[in-house]
Amino acid sequence: MDAGPGRPLTVDADVHQSLPDLTPHLPRHWRERWAQTGLGVGTGYHNPRGVLRQDTLPPDGGPPASDPLFLLSDHLDRYAIDYAVLTGPFVLPLGHDPDYLDAVARAVNDATAAGWLGVSRRFRGSVLVNADDPEAAVAEIERCGDRESVVQVLMATTTREPCGRRRYHPIYRAAAERGLPVALHPGAEGAGGAAPPTPVGYPSRYLEWHSLLPLTAMAQLASLLCEGVFEAFPDLRVVLVEGGVSWLPSLLWRLDKNYKALRDTTPWLRRLPSEYVAEHVRLTSQPIEEPPHPQQLEQVLAMVDAGRTLMFSSDYPHWDNDNPEVLFRRVDPAVRARIMGGTAAELYGLDGPPPPEQLPPHRSGGAADVLQPTGYHE
Amino acid sequence: MVAAEVDVPGRGVLLVQASGLEIGLFRVRGRVVAWRNHCPHQAAPVCRGRVTGTLLPSAVAEYRPGRDGEVLQCPWHGWEFDLLDGHHLASGSRVRLRGYPVEVEDGNVVLHLPERPALDAAGRGAATRPRP
Repeated sequence: MDAGPGRPLTVDADVHQSLPDLTPHLPRHWRERWAQTGLGVGTGYHNPRGVLRQDTLPPDGGPPASDPLFLLSDHLDRYAIDYAVLTGPFVLPLGHDPDYLDAVARAVNDATAAGWLGVSRRFRGSVLVNADDPEAAVAEIERCGDRESVVQVLMATTTREPCGRRRYHPIYRAAAERGLPVALHPGAEGAGGAAPPTPVGYPSRYLEWHSLLPLTAMAQLASLLCEGVFEAFPDLRVVLVEGGVSWLPSLLWRLDKNYKALRDTTPWLRRLPSEYVAEHVRLTSQPIEEPPHPQQLEQVLAMVDAGRTLMFSSDYPHWDNDNPEVLFRRVDPAVRARIMGGTAAELYGLDGPPPPEQLPPHRSGGAADVLQPTGYHE
Repeated sequence: MVAAEVDVPGRGVLLVQASGLEIGLFRVRGRVVAWRNHCPHQAAPVCRGRVTGTLLPSAVAEYRPGRDGEVLQCPWHGWEFDLLDGHHLASGSRVRLRGYPVEVEDGNVVLHLPERPALDAAGRGAATRPRP
């Protein structure tokens, strides 16, 4: 990395730190349940590769992304990434017991503060909330939102109702008041009490489920726009994490067209839906679509005004991560700089390169040469 | 000479450095093969993936396991490569691993490497080649 304070920053907007032991951060009455079931709710979709990259096992033990010092060297230093926005080991599925899920959210946030945010200023944190319990989510934002290095609120893309509905507005109010964007992250689609992951039900395999994750992001974005969330909360910013990119022009063209015809069904809107997106919504890049001809992706990036809306993310240490060294190489350098960090630096208030840090000695890589799947799924 | 043949495991990889390249040596069908440790998709350390089998092309709803020990699965995106010829196993994909001729002389593995491999800034380059 260059040393200059004015140099472009590289910001990874989606890094999944692992928190293998939440027990000390859970109240005593939930510890046994956590030990026995963990979240207890999954999608049921199996990725035979494993969700966690086999080459990210820390040399000193533990699952991938469980060692902050190793993550700094194995990922941030290796790819000259200045800052990583930590998005945790999971988002909360729609389970049945809100008290348990609220407790897990608190434990994740406290474990992240204790084990990660204090280690390096290059880590920036999320407040994980159980959006299905908006009152508790607000309480958690009030409890953790002003902590050092916390830069956003994080919730599952899947919610019980379209997330623009009034019952979720207290979450947006609490986030906007603190200048925290609200990030929606997939993973819980179809899990627990959620709606099926597609409008026609449950696909048979992970390949289908994963390819269709943008459906949920599309539905949520339409809801946020049409319910007037960005009129109600003019300071709110929303980040659609890991939900795909190339669908956005289609959806916005349809919404703009229908708004022109049916404006009076949403009389609170004062602008075209696409104009709200340009100001209020950001997308993370991974897993970037890979069309057969690279120029096709460049055309999509132009359609979504990527220099304004798109933020680089890797998804480390997950199986479908993107390598920043091979991303967007044909894109105009000024636009690429915005994607790789400029937009995220503005959104998250990162004023310049991280200051030099004295870190304890640690091993920088080189796990065993022959690796087997860890069986550690999220 | 980059390694003793006896050090190449029966299943798995022996990673070696040669001419500035990281190369994985594998044993498949009794012979030693050498592939560059660089996935043509997104530059992952492909040789650190699993050596495994696969499900062969089949009729709908039919499952035909096969080729055990002859497939390398990239540790990032799981792309399957044929350890014998380096081809990516997905239909319609034209990429393959970059490999090097191997000879075993007096129990030593000898690689025939290009003098100066041409790489771009991302370390890609020659690994992404269409099938002949």
